[in-house]
Amino acid sequence: MKSIVGLFLVLAILVIIPAADYVFAAGAEPGEYLDRRVVIWNLFYRLMAVAFVVGTVVSGTMIWQCWRFRESHPKAKPTPYEKEGVW
Amino acid sequence: MGGHSNWPEWIYVGIVIALMLWVGAEAWNVERLVEHVPEGAEVIKVTGQQWFWTFEHEDGTKEIGELHVEKGKAYKFEITAKDVNHSFNIHDYVVLMDAIPGRVNTVWFAPTDVGEHDIQCREYCGLIHYNMRGTLYVEEPSS
Repeated sequence: MKSIVGLFLVLAILVIIPAADYVFAAGAEPGEYLDRRVVIWNLFYRLMAVAFVVGTVVSGTMIWQCWRFRESHPKAKPTPYEKEGVW
Repeated sequence: MGGHSNWPEWIYVGIVIALMLWVGAEAWNVERLVEHVPEGAEVIKVTGQQWFWTFEHEDGTKEIGELHVEKGKAYKFEITAKDVNHSFNIHDYVVLMDAIPGRVNTVWFAPTDVGEHDIQCREYCGLIHYNMRGTLYVEEPSS
């Protein structure tokens, strides 16, 4: 069963990616005038904003976990091993 | 998997996949816009060689080390090289494309303001690579 799912996944990827490429690819029709500087730097700043937000959330979560689950936290519950010495 | 719920992990995986798809789609869309040459763009043949740039306009005019273009008009560069790999760069207009012997790479831009800008080689191409420079002159439209 798993191999059939895998096979269909591979086939789907083989079909979906070229189909999406075909649909969205730049055709032969003329493009519009645009300022490369604006478009490219705009993309850069948007992606940098995303990267910094993700970095803040991930590192913030890790810092909070270290703070909240430390042994000395008032609400810390000992694990069974720490409490009774059993795994 | 007994004993605890793992839905936060699945939410995390979902968010990561969604972000990656979004980033990929944004970049793809910008690439599509930037690569789409407008109608009527003038073709300029650009040749890089140790250690200067040569430009040839559609009317046959040739320039060495400097390039004169008009404001508000689109230009499509057809870039190649004679000897080793170079890279054609107009930093102020975010134009950057490799110049490879035996191959023609294209990139287009439309200057928006009158002025002078640096043209430079961005691929180390030998002893005087550092001085493989030119100047882009953006002028008022003639007609």
